[in-house]
Amino acid sequence: MSTRNERQAARHGAHGLIADYKPLPGVPDEMLAPDGRLRPAWSQLIGALDDLGPTELAGRFERADQYLRDAGVYYRKYDGAAGKERGWPLAHVPLILDEAEWRTITRGLTQRAELLETIVADIYGDNQLVQRGLLPPELIARNAEFLRPMVGIEPASGHYLHFCAFELGRGPNGGWWVLGDRTQAPSGAGFALENRVATTRALSDIYGRMHVHRLAGFFRGFRDALNGIAESRDGGVGILTPGQHNETYFEHAYIARYLGFALLEGEDLVVDDGQVMVRTVSGLKPVSVLWRRMDASFADPLELRYDSRIGTPGLTDAIRQGSISMVNALGSGILETRAFAAFMPNLCRTLTGSELELPTIATWWCGGAAERRHVIDNFDTMMVGSAFATGLAIEDTETVVGGGLPPHQRQALLDRLEAEGGAFVGQEQVHLSTTPLHVGGRLEPRPMTLRVYAARTRDGWTIMPGGFARIGSTPDSSAIAMQRGGQAADVWVVSDQPVEHVTLLPGEGEELVRVSAGSLPSRAADNLIWLGRYAERCEATVRILRAYNARLAESSNPDLPILKDTRTYLDGLGVDASTPLPTGLLAAIDSAVNSAGQIRDRFSPDGWLALADLRKTARTFAHKVEAGDDATRAMTVLLRKLAGFSGLVHENMYRFAGWRFLEIGRRLERGIQISGAVAWLTRKNAPEGALDLLLEIGDSVMTHRRRYAVSAGVNSYIDLLVLDPLNPRSVRFQIAELYQQLERLPGGIEGGHLSIAAKAALSLDTELRVSEPAAMTTPHLNRLGLDIGNLAGLIADAYFV
Amino acid sequence: MLYDVRLELHYDYDAAVHGDRHLVRVSPISIPQVQRVIAASLSFEPRPEQETSFTDFFGNLVTTIAYSGYHDHLDVRLSARVQVEDPPSPADLSPTLTGLREELSRLWSVAASSPQHFLAASPRVPLDPAIAAYARDSVASSPSVQAAALDLCLRIHREFRYDREATKVDTGPSEAFALKRGVCQDFAHVMIAGLRGVGIPAGYVSGFLRTIPPKGKPRLEGADAMHAWVRVWCGQHAGWIEFDPTNAMLAGPDHITIGHGRDYSDISPIVGVLRTSGEHSAKQSVDVVRVE
Repeated sequence: MSTRNERQAARHGAHGLIADYKPLPGVPDEMLAPDGRLRPAWSQLIGALDDLGPTELAGRFERADQYLRDAGVYYRKYDGAAGKERGWPLAHVPLILDEAEWRTITRGLTQRAELLETIVADIYGDNQLVQRGLLPPELIARNAEFLRPMVGIEPASGHYLHFCAFELGRGPNGGWWVLGDRTQAPSGAGFALENRVATTRALSDIYGRMHVHRLAGFFRGFRDALNGIAESRDGGVGILTPGQHNETYFEHAYIARYLGFALLEGEDLVVDDGQVMVRTVSGLKPVSVLWRRMDASFADPLELRYDSRIGTPGLTDAIRQGSISMVNALGSGILETRAFAAFMPNLCRTLTGSELELPTIATWWCGGAAERRHVIDNFDTMMVGSAFATGLAIEDTETVVGGGLPPHQRQALLDRLEAEGGAFVGQEQVHLSTTPLHVGGRLEPRPMTLRVYAARTRDGWTIMPGGFARIGSTPDSSAIAMQRGGQAADVWVVSDQPVEHVTLLPGEGEELVRVSAGSLPSRAADNLIWLGRYAERCEATVRILRAYNARLAESSNPDLPILKDTRTYLDGLGVDASTPLPTGLLAAIDSAVNSAGQIRDRFSPDGWLALADLRKTARTFAHKVEAGDDATRAMTVLLRKLAGFSGLVHENMYRFAGWRFLEIGRRLERGIQISGAVAWLTRKNAPEGALDLLLEIGDSVMTHRRRYAVSAGVNSYIDLLVLDPLNPRSVRFQIAELYQQLERLPGGIEGGHLSIAAKAALSLDTELRVSEPAAMTTPHLNRLGLDIGNLAGLIADAYFV
Repeated sequence: MLYDVRLELHYDYDAAVHGDRHLVRVSPISIPQVQRVIAASLSFEPRPEQETSFTDFFGNLVTTIAYSGYHDHLDVRLSARVQVEDPPSPADLSPTLTGLREELSRLWSVAASSPQHFLAASPRVPLDPAIAAYARDSVASSPSVQAAALDLCLRIHREFRYDREATKVDTGPSEAFALKRGVCQDFAHVMIAGLRGVGIPAGYVSGFLRTIPPKGKPRLEGADAMHAWVRVWCGQHAGWIEFDPTNAMLAGPDHITIGHGRDYSDISPIVGVLRTSGEHSAKQSVDVVRVE
């Protein structure tokens, strides 16, 4: 450990973090001024990082990564059919911007957001811009994002745009350029928050000393704005997500939790008499604002994309009837069209009478003869792509730089430009500024773009004081995209003055407001039941497999009757016990993870991580575990992990309806599993050792010994595992719990009458209360399992249809 | 010409469905100088719990129906009385293809009637180089856009075979073109793809044909079902002209229009989402009787 003095010395000597930091020639750097000196806004951060020394610094950055792993922050990377979840690639050193520069960005983006609103209102309104020759008709009429059903519909909220993002880059002259507008369903605001949390985990002391603008105020303003729109109508605010396979689903769930909005999928919604309703376990509940994270054309299979499987039939009709506000309005995505960038300067001039405060990247739409000529004449340094592309040119794999093409492709593209120029757009090749990335213990300059968010509030547009910087993995500008290894850094806007500290928690003296839980969407409830069922099914299977392998290890004769018999039983459950870790078990674990994945906003990150860890362990075991002893130990590990998951959920989940459905799923499955096992192992021709096996898989060995001093034969086993009201593994215990939960569900008792499901549970409970063990014959036990299965059907009919 | 139109669509579901919702586009619209709808009534069985209607982007009349309960069939019944005009055949006022391009580049409009909407690929009509090459022959041998469209219309009629078994409702124009077979919808899509492929705006028309032909005239193909033909923008002066490639003729007093779109998907008689895994079967019957 070095002393502070030594570290101070190091900073001024040759070993400081920036000592061998060399900006690229001709490219502005965020940290170093052209004369090689630290920019003032950075000096405090870099000084503090130097003071920490390399070891401490590495430890702190590891802490940030650990936080992200623990919080389960991921995005989905597409490299195959389904895409894989990847940890969030945090670049640990934040980008520092001073407040004065931030004010310039704020002014520019506020102007731009207003301008975009005017343009989109005209496109879906009376189309003056086309008629006046300011926007070519083909950029609208041929545009897949021009949603004809939206023409002429005024947004219920009064505005098309409520939330936008902008991609900025710093040009060679040091000024900022707008590289792209994001108006469809901008992602990443939640990741900006997580970046902040993770970065400040590592650098909390430094963050505390510097006057960094907080992000919470921005989110509070937007939350209040959406609630404000909802207030004037019947129904709340929801976030509409395409579901767990979307690349930024984590963020949708995160933002929903953070802002207290319902996370909804298209399937959760139904349009009833022109009103959008959420299917919940308490019936249909209205919703009046949808913050949409789904591309507009997928939102309604009836009037938009007919092949959409994630939309809500009739949503367009509800919008037409003015009962729902979409954030942003369906069709706003047309503003992302790359060719529009060519018209922004003139549109701004004509519509506002002033110039764009932040210039747009130089763009030429090749539908115009002069523009086409310019692109062809400067072909080598042009990024040429589709006029209708919506991604950034530097990220788009379909966009090419003329100079980089082999001769035959070059000629082919030039020919197409001449023949169908209107389909193409040329943009000046981007040279981005660099910012320091911490690589292998040192800082290296890497190109970066800045993503900034704008939200409409009651007082107009606000700009998030921060955002995130995307940093390339190599000095090449095209490696910014996260799908290509780019990283994301927090953005600190620093002030000379202390800044206001805002949180989403109510301040002292503010009135405590209890937000009502809202109603549980039916789809979420369905997934919770299945999560409970699959978790329990895994547990039951693991218990049987453990007992099986322990006996196999003892006798080492797989032909022993009890072993053969157990294999047959497991086979009926879709589990092939002849492999140490059967695929049937892995599939049940996958199903549990899949159910949980669809409702990640509803339980804690810890619960999710426990489940993910269970799957990972099971998959690892599948490759190396051998039958017998080894498998027995492996099953014990899995059992412990399952118990860990159950414990986390049971102890931490608030007792809303959601928990009840999870509990119901668990009890249903356990009831079914135990009935089945008892029926099988107490049947007349069951092999020797069947009853011991039953006690073991029913986890009731100790209790049986205590309760029945002298073995009372098969009846004592049936008594303990079927009829005993106190044994948490008995069938009756499950039924009693089920009845308790069903009674408490919405509609469980109404006007003194039990729901159909609660009645069925009560009738089963009564039957078990008055039954004697001798009456529990094998057919009777089998029927009991079926009755519990029917109960699951009654619950589905009442709450999920 | 005054007609009484009757349409019945009947859908049978294998399994009862619930909570479904449909858009229905079968009611004819009034179009100045083309036709006037005197009366129309549309009914459904079972009776929908909700029924609303609106006019879509292209001016078509759309009825939305919704059910929340279970049902195992759906009947749609339309009866309408429509007066169809019989204007004299238009003289050819259309420009050459180059002239048409010139006119289009000066046409700064995205109103529903603007030809700008009918140049690009649309959901059911992707642009196909083979069909474009086929259409180019018609352009090469014709003095004007209108003549080229008529030539293409006649060639499709001559070289394609009307065959109900060859294609299905979701067959694309490329496949129908390769088969040189199909029904009115296929011929219309092929003709649209060809015209757009050479830069001539073309759209889809859905409608009905008179069932019993006038004395001495042959019965028209497709008269016992809903029909489809093509409208072509032939320049500022000529405007939109309608061609029926199935019957090798201009649309005239025997054609009753339901509505317009870029292709079938914009004006399909029924769109809907069925909450069922089962199959359904459909039947339709059409009767168009001249009143006077």
